[in-house]
Amino acid sequence: MPEPMGFYTDTTVCIGCKACEVACKEWNQLPATNGGRSKLSGDSYDNTRRLDGIHWRHVKFIEQFDAERRQGRWLMMSDVCKHCVRAGCLEVCPTGAIIRTEFDTVVIQSDVCNGCRDCIGACPFGVIDINPVSGTAQKCTLCYDRMRAGMTPACAQACPTASINFGPIRELKQKAQARVEQLHGRGERGAYLYGADEKMLGGLNSFYLLVDKPEVYGLPPDPKMPTRNLKRGSLWSALGAVVVGVVGLISLRSRRDVNV
Amino acid sequence: MADSDCVIVMGSNMAECHPVAFRWPMLAKARGAKIIHVDPRFTRTSAMADIHAPIRAGSDLAFLGGLVNYVMNSPRWSSEPFFKTFVLNYTNAATIVSDEFKDAEDLDGVFSGLKEYTEKIKEWPLNAFLGQYDSKSWQYATAQDAQAGSGWKANTQQSGEQPAGDERSSGQRGAPAQAAPPGPPFEPLVKGLLKPPARRDPTLADPRCVFQIVKRHFARYTPEMVERVTGCPRDTFLKVAETLLASSGADRTTSFAYAVAWTQHTNGPQIIGCAALLQLLLGNVGRPGAGIMALRGHASIQGSTDIPTLYHSIHGYMSHPSALKKHDTLANWLAAETSARGYWANTPKFMISYMKSMYGEAATRDNDFGYEWHPKIIGDHSHLPMFVAMNEGRVKGMLCIGQNPATSINALVERRGLGKLEWLVVKDNWVTETATFWKTAPEVKSGTVKLGDIKTEVFFFPSAQVAEYDGSFTNTQRMLQWHYKAAEPPGDCRSDLWFTHQLAKRLKQMYANSTAPRDAGFKALTWDFDPDPSLPHEPGEVPPTAGDPDGLKILKEINGYYSDEPTKHVASFGDLKDDGSTTCASWIYCGVFPAPGQNRSASRKADPPGTPGAQLGWGYAWPANRRIMYNRASADLNGRPWSERKKWVWWDGEQKKWVGLDVPDFAATKPPTAKANPDAIGLDGLSGTDPFIMKTDGKGWLYVPSGLVDGPLPTHYEPAESPVRNPLYKQQASPVYKYWKREDNALVQPGDSRFPIVITTYRLTEHYLAGAMSRFNPWLTELQPELFIEMSPELAAEKSIANLDWVRVSTPRSSIRAKALVTRRLRPFTIDGRVVHHVGMPWHWGYEGLVTGDVVNELTSLVADPNVSIHEGKAFVCNVEKV
Amino acid sequence: MSSTFFTEPPHWRWLIILYFFIGGLAGGCYFLASMIDLVGRPTDRPLARLGYLIAFPAVVVCGILLIADLGRPERFWHMLLQSATWRPMLKTYSPMSFGAWGLLVFSAFAFLSFLGALGEDERRHRFSFLRPPSVIGTIVSALGGLAGFFLASYTGVLLAVTNRPIWSDTTLLGAVFLVSSASTSIALLMLLGSRRVFLVGGLRALARFDTFVLVLELITLVALVVSLGSLARVWLSAWGALLLLGVVGIGIIVPLILEVRAHSPLSASARAAAVLVLVGGFLLRVVIVLSSEAI
Ligand SMILES: Nc1nc2c(c(=O)[nH]1)N[C@H]1C(S)=C(S)[C@@H](COP(=O)(O)OP(=O)(O)OC[C@H]3O[C@@H](n4cnc5c(=O)[nH]c(N)nc54)[C@H](O)[C@@H]3O)O[C@H]1N2
Ligand SMILES: Nc1nc2c(c(=O)[nH]1)N[C@H]1C(S)=C(S)[C@@H](COP(=O)(O)OP(=O)(O)OC[C@H]3O[C@@H](n4cnc5c(=O)[nH]c(N)nc54)[C@H](O)[C@@H]3O)O[C@H]1N2
Ligand code: SF4
Ligand code: SF4
Ligand code: SF4
Ligand code: SF4
Ligand code: SF4
Ligand SMILES: [Mo]
Repeated sequence: MPEPMGFYTDTTVCIGCKACEVACKEWNQLPATNGGRSKLSGDSYDNTRRLDGIHWRHVKFIEQFDAERRQGRWLMMSDVCKHCVRAGCLEVCPTGAIIRTEFDTVVIQSDVCNGCRDCIGACPFGVIDINPVSGTAQKCTLCYDRMRAGMTPACAQACPTASINFGPIRELKQKAQARVEQLHGRGERGAYLYGADEKMLGGLNSFYLLVDKPEVYGLPPDPKMPTRNLKRGSLWSALGAVVVGVVGLISLRSRRDVNV
Repeated sequence: MADSDCVIVMGSNMAECHPVAFRWPMLAKARGAKIIHVDPRFTRTSAMADIHAPIRAGSDLAFLGGLVNYVMNSPRWSSEPFFKTFVLNYTNAATIVSDEFKDAEDLDGVFSGLKEYTEKIKEWPLNAFLGQYDSKSWQYATAQDAQAGSGWKANTQQSGEQPAGDERSSGQRGAPAQAAPPGPPFEPLVKGLLKPPARRDPTLADPRCVFQIVKRHFARYTPEMVERVTGCPRDTFLKVAETLLASSGADRTTSFAYAVAWTQHTNGPQIIGCAALLQLLLGNVGRPGAGIMALRGHASIQGSTDIPTLYHSIHGYMSHPSALKKHDTLANWLAAETSARGYWANTPKFMISYMKSMYGEAATRDNDFGYEWHPKIIGDHSHLPMFVAMNEGRVKGMLCIGQNPATSINALVERRGLGKLEWLVVKDNWVTETATFWKTAPEVKSGTVKLGDIKTEVFFFPSAQVAEYDGSFTNTQRMLQWHYKAAEPPGDCRSDLWFTHQLAKRLKQMYANSTAPRDAGFKALTWDFDPDPSLPHEPGEVPPTAGDPDGLKILKEINGYYSDEPTKHVASFGDLKDDGSTTCASWIYCGVFPAPGQNRSASRKADPPGTPGAQLGWGYAWPANRRIMYNRASADLNGRPWSERKKWVWWDGEQKKWVGLDVPDFAATKPPTAKANPDAIGLDGLSGTDPFIMKTDGKGWLYVPSGLVDGPLPTHYEPAESPVRNPLYKQQASPVYKYWKREDNALVQPGDSRFPIVITTYRLTEHYLAGAMSRFNPWLTELQPELFIEMSPELAAEKSIANLDWVRVSTPRSSIRAKALVTRRLRPFTIDGRVVHHVGMPWHWGYEGLVTGDVVNELTSLVADPNVSIHEGKAFVCNVEKV
Repeated sequence: MSSTFFTEPPHWRWLIILYFFIGGLAGGCYFLASMIDLVGRPTDRPLARLGYLIAFPAVVVCGILLIADLGRPERFWHMLLQSATWRPMLKTYSPMSFGAWGLLVFSAFAFLSFLGALGEDERRHRFSFLRPPSVIGTIVSALGGLAGFFLASYTGVLLAVTNRPIWSDTTLLGAVFLVSSASTSIALLMLLGSRRVFLVGGLRALARFDTFVLVLELITLVALVVSLGSLARVWLSAWGALLLLGVVGIGIIVPLILEVRAHSPLSASARAAAVLVLVGGFLLRVVIVLSSEAI
């Protein structure tokens, strides 16, 4: 069994070139929005806007400037499926289309998925969506096909600045930790790792180095498993059923009492 | 750049336009280097930078001048031995300049020697100079001035038309040819060109020495002035200056990176020259992590200046024979183009080998190696004047191979020109705007131009792509890398090699029986690139497309071989001869193919990770596989590295030769103690401490006595169109820039309130140039689907423009529409006390492709730099209105 | 801000809303029918029969809606069988998976009871053993009733087991849907039975039941809003207005008033109340589904 593999994305060196986005599309032969004839979004340089069934990688652009331009930052971050160790999508999928691979990654088998879309709402990061061509739910496979052939995922391979680092999670965590320390040493006190810790869904096999709050990057500060609601929801429903049953009993019975 | 302690990206948006190369500054940054970005906009490069210094487009020279001023007045620079030693010995700081020279200081913005342009060349009145300098007064004061009549030959020749001079074409005007015996050997001729060495003052005290002139020249470029001219806040400027100085010295180096935001100005070369001056002052030349990186644009654009598609030079940066200079005979060409001292003394060897490559056996000593046959230029034949000539009906046909002028420069004028052609061949991968200008251009669609009025016959040749044939790339680092054919081109697509080869063969056939004298050259031209059918192809190789020439044969022709023994390749340019015994198309590439079977551009041996080195086994960098040019400067006067941290090449006293991590750029066994022999030509005329061996004096030039037509010292001029008056001098813009006077080329006068906004144009990572290579690709178009104009919220508010509103952008030439992208990444500048708004537009759109948009290049004007005729696409003025 | 705001909506729209509504009716009608059959008076058995007759066609429609909503309808069976191995596909912790099986089981009971209810009331026929009071019929109805409760409520749990705003920010949706399915099913039975005078006794009992359930529904809705806490702000919008006016006003308060005022379950106002309850129940699902989808 190979060891868990994944991504460590250092957003501080992302130049927003979108090579990862295009490399992913090229390798996976994903179509473009409206055949490429999309509209200017007006939201910085981001015109694809989100992860979905045809965008398995997405580069975010966050402009932070004060009115005097004394303070200015343009944050860029290449987003992707987090390949959660405890994956909501995988849990809810009713067809078994979503599996965990030998690399500890999470993959949707396109030939199994029937497009029920339960996984879409279950993913705490908004990663999955339907690919209109296949009619099935799709997302990053962490290039399962390439990994099986011993190759680096297309996006990581294309990244010119090594913002996307691919490798065994263990090594990535060390590398990331060293980078955080380096940044702290240089006065970048805000740098921290998002998702490297097991506390977040058992750890994200695609984790990030960020310099601002997760929300700023469109990431949930506290992602949760969808099944957290299962027990209580069921209990409340059962209780509801009991109450309705009792009320029904009373209604139907009491009438008899009255009428007899 | 990975070795730099500070990288200043200025005049380029490196992260967006050179994302793969940008990994090196990023690597440097990871190791602790500072990145500085000087750009009007906050870009993806700025986002990675430690300091972003905003400046108004067109004000770079003022900023750089400010840095020069800061450095020269800083206590550390004045006291540290490293700087002193470097500047005194490795630059021309001590050289005395002729008394006749008057600086821009004295003449309020112009140099001595300025004269009105007189249109004396009737055949080609398209050179468009506003004025011209006579560079005679800019020269060094020579010993001859002191001891007249010493027998040194005088510099008698006057410069005529100088399209893109270098030190040889305008400075070292040779002696009259009759004075030298016609060679070969040409050594006596070269000897005859020797002039007395220039006078020097090693104390740097002489008011006429370069050091003092430079210091005076930049005295007015104070931080206050920088802020006034560029709009860059003073503290930001000072932070840049401090960082630059702190990151320079014996132990530290700074590099600059620029691209077309330095070149696309009416004084582009001067901006680059100013950076060179600054880097020389700081000792940041010829050393690891130092230098000025010209980030080249198109794939192999470096290769296309080496093996030039440029009109004014022939292979290896030799001047193209010109009818306007004293180039009438080979000897005269040699006399005009050879410098007696420095490596260019070998010019006759390079030239004769080149002539042999052109005309083969027909080139003999008796017919001047066919020099008569060689075409001569008659003026500025660069892009802009060619299209002006087209508009005047002086050009009949055009082969447009891999270019899209219908959108890429001054589009309206160029489309008008295309419409006046009789025939046009477009060879491209896509049916571009240039191929369809006659039916889908906006002026045709709107009916302004009638479809029937365009008589041009257009031929479209579908082109193969680079992976569909064998060939080489030469990258920014001057490195050749061979690439192999990976796939068969689809359908009728053929490579450019195929096209050129077949065209040449057919033309040669056509001329074969001509008796006209003018065709003799064409008949004599050697053209032997057909693949050898007996050569087996290696397994796994995709065989060449039928009709393709053999790429290796071409490489061999470029590399050179012995004329009588063609299977023996020339191994290095040191072996080239001036007697016709060697044949070599381009001397600088000599050595890339030193023996059959040894194509060094295909070499792929990387250094093991972690070892210091120059990756000498990867590809082949001209000259002589050298990775850093002038690297003798990385060692001190005694030949020892300036510091352990920055060692590169050094003198090994035991082996008695230069050794190091790179191929030393110096006579291999010449010790640091070697004295210059004033009576010797070539490298012997330079000493063991003269690192700049291509220069006649072996020094880096702070002051440039020859080679530039717009002045020996960098001087800030406003762009041809500017919203302000030049705060530095009375002279508003360069007195000698090129302007083509046409009705459709009106310029805005400074301060015209109808066009108050500075506009610049640039690229996006997501698109490529005129867009044919990206706007047909849905994966790219969805990333940046529509043309936009970036503007500050301040300007948007003033003009009641909201994000994504349609706006109209206008100049006197045209007006176009674009969507507003309102962002704080752009800002208003305070220039000379008044608020100047600044907008910017990417220029990738046109009327063909998956996504279309207006052509930004309809807005620009036809003005150009006088040295290299590059348009001013980076700074002009406009107005914007909500539509 | 809740972490649920960073997720994507699954695009469950009108087909799913209809499914939730009709599924609620199917499950609700069935459990009503089984309750009437099991604890009601024999004279009310036509009402129970009505319930069975509604439940099965309704659940068939549900199946069609669900399949039609799939991206790949031809693969609907992947929910039940593993496509590669043909083994059963069941995840107890996935409401969608469990629900698919629940739906299947319910359909089976509904089918049996449908058969049992096919013949004219009280007349013996081939399948009447499938209805109480026969032993088999009693078992079928009892289990089917439980399945009906399941069908009526699991969709709410399904929504809760996501990471979508509102849906997963409360655990009460199952209970809300269950109560609502009771109220809408009672309303439907009342409406369809209201022409038969001889059923007036049973109808009156149902009306009382309905009154209780509507009050219960109001309570659960209030609890729902409370359980959302500050997130309920999302409903400070058109959706909230629809919830308040459509679901609470039209679907609960007005029917309650009408029912209290109605002198007979056969009266026009009782019928109007029933219609409004149905409308309210439908709007409830519209609001719950679309207000989250829109975020
Ligand atoms: N993705 C992509 N890469 C490319 C190309 C492409 O089209 N797309 N083109 C290739 C080619 S051919 C070339 S030549 C290179 C060009 O590479 P660059 O020169 O780096 O590219 P530009 O975007 O033209 O201009 C760079 C920056 O100059 C700034 N600028 C404008 N005016 C001034 C000024 O007066 N001074 C200063 N300091 N900055 C100014 C602009 O704001 C812009 O950010 O890129 C090459 N690489
Ligand atoms: N306003 C403004 N204008 C500018 C600039 C600017 O910054 N601002 N930049 C200028 C610069 S630096 C440049 S380099 C020019 C670029 O201007 P152009 O060179 O005119 O534009 P490209 O789009 O690069 O055109 C190259 C064409 O070659 C085709 N092509 C690609 N590969 C091959 C091949 O192998 N063979 C053949 N035959 N064709 C091929 C492509 O499809 C494309 O149509 O634009 C200049 N114009
Ligand atoms: S990020 Fe979402 S899609 Fe990816 S594994 Fe986690 S839950 Fe699944
Ligand atoms: S849409 Fe496909 S992958 Fe997602 S839960 Fe349904 S069956 Fe599984
Ligand atoms: S790992 Fe593969 S599938 Fe995932 S984003 Fe990268 S390229 Fe796309
Ligand atoms: S390829 Fe790398 S640098 Fe470019 S956008 Fe993606 S992550 Fe960022
Ligand atoms: S497009 Fe080619 S040349 Fe340009 S950055 Fe990418 S790899 Fe380099
Ligand atoms: Mo370029």
